[in-house]
Amino acid sequence: MLTGFTRQARAPRRWEQLAQVGIFSDLKPRELRIVDAALHERRYLEGEVIFDEGEEGQALYIVLAGRVLICRQGDTDAGRIAELGAGDFFGDLALLDDAPRAAQARAAEACRLAVFFRADFMSLLETHAVIASRVSLQLARHIGRRLRGMNRKYLGADA
Amino acid sequence: MTQGARSAGPVVWVAVITATCLLLLVFRATLWLVVPFLLALVLYYGLRPLATRLVFAGLSIEAAANVVTVAFVAIVALALMALAPWITARAVQWQHSLDRYVAAGVSLIEQTVASLELRHAVLAKAQAAATLRAQLGSLTDDFAQRHAGEFVMAAFTWAPSLLLAPFLAFFFLRDGRRFKRFLGRAVPNAYFERTLVLLHDVDRTAHAYFQGLLKLTVLDAAALALGLALLGMSAPVALGLLTAVLAWVPYVGSILGCVVVVLVAATDFPGNPSLAYGAVVLFILVRLLDDFVFMPMTIGRSLRIHPLLSVVMIFVGGALAGVAGLMLVLPVLGVVMVIGETVGRVVTDPRLRARHAHARRLRANQAAADLAA
Repeated sequence: MLTGFTRQARAPRRWEQLAQVGIFSDLKPRELRIVDAALHERRYLEGEVIFDEGEEGQALYIVLAGRVLICRQGDTDAGRIAELGAGDFFGDLALLDDAPRAAQARAAEACRLAVFFRADFMSLLETHAVIASRVSLQLARHIGRRLRGMNRKYLGADA
Repeated sequence: MTQGARSAGPVVWVAVITATCLLLLVFRATLWLVVPFLLALVLYYGLRPLATRLVFAGLSIEAAANVVTVAFVAIVALALMALAPWITARAVQWQHSLDRYVAAGVSLIEQTVASLELRHAVLAKAQAAATLRAQLGSLTDDFAQRHAGEFVMAAFTWAPSLLLAPFLAFFFLRDGRRFKRFLGRAVPNAYFERTLVLLHDVDRTAHAYFQGLLKLTVLDAAALALGLALLGMSAPVALGLLTAVLAWVPYVGSILGCVVVVLVAATDFPGNPSLAYGAVVLFILVRLLDDFVFMPMTIGRSLRIHPLLSVVMIFVGGALAGVAGLMLVLPVLGVVMVIGETVGRVVTDPRLRARHAHARRLRANQAAADLAA
């Protein structure tokens, strides 16, 4: 009876969720709101393809809710590369150029994604250079970590 | 697997040209909205760099749109207020001036034909000057009295519609990004990434076209003003600017601009037709400069349309929608071309279609999950 008068727990706003995402971790709330205004939101059902391996990459995807599977094209079992959850992002190289996607992305369960297009990132570089440079630095660190991980895996050395 | 960029096939090209023609017919019927919309686009792409600078300086997009639009409207209002006393004081004179310009133009033509009669016996035998004088006389007598009312009525009819332009430009500046997101939401997941890139491309094409048009206008106006000043004409900057704006309408606008300049030259120097001929030569030189130097530097780079297709489409635009068609055909063709090529690629991509069909099946299954039990 009283539930109508009690304050319900507020769902976090999208920009608050973005604060938990690696590449946006350096941004202040005001800056997060500016980035948030450039994002598109999409919902995918379990099994739905987000992008294919070899497809021209145009955008980075951020998982807001649900899980996403990164795998070899069409091979969801043996070709599994990673499974990502809320706060993770993928397709990050598309922010740099339109090179083909290195793997397929599929919704492992119903999920909600924020999409950040390269064109919007480029216009952010022009209009909000400080924000874009912070995002770029985090992106470079992320790519560096992945490169070191691959070095360890394939060369057995910490380059 | 989705395929990379492919050139558009003949079916897509037929669809692009058909869609452009249909749009021109629609535009002809809704000219009262199309003209302010077009001016709003010119204004939007002209003001956007300023708004972007303000956003860069720390203002929100909304605040930047407010500041830029209010500043523009204030400048226009101040300019009109400053000009109002001058315009009202000369309103009566203008009617006489119009008659004076027309009479000077007729006189120039008569002098030219008369001098040709002296050199060519065939023309003298045909009494070309007398025939022309009689025909022009019936066309130009009391020109201002007969047409001034029409000009004033047209100005009053178009004024409310033109006031829409800054209003529309303000909303383009403030909500352009939101509108793009709104459009993006209507696109199925499978086509989403490609389609959003298409919207970026359309925006980039329109941006390049309208900014190119503004740059071209400034270059044209500067070149004409310099030439007219060297010829010793009155108000060279105003004339240069007027003719450069008239040149927005392909062919017809240029001819009209040339006629205005020649009329002014004939009126300013009634006994010296060589100055009017000089104005024609200057106009042709600036047109050549425009076609071979300025246009490739500005608009030509933005649309990437084959010159032959451009010329053919300008004629088609003129035939379908008159002056509005001449003016609109190239930007409309540029935008429809980008949309057509991308939609053609997206819709004919079997992998994207299969992914879309798969997503629809998943959604149908989810919607019917509890119905089987």
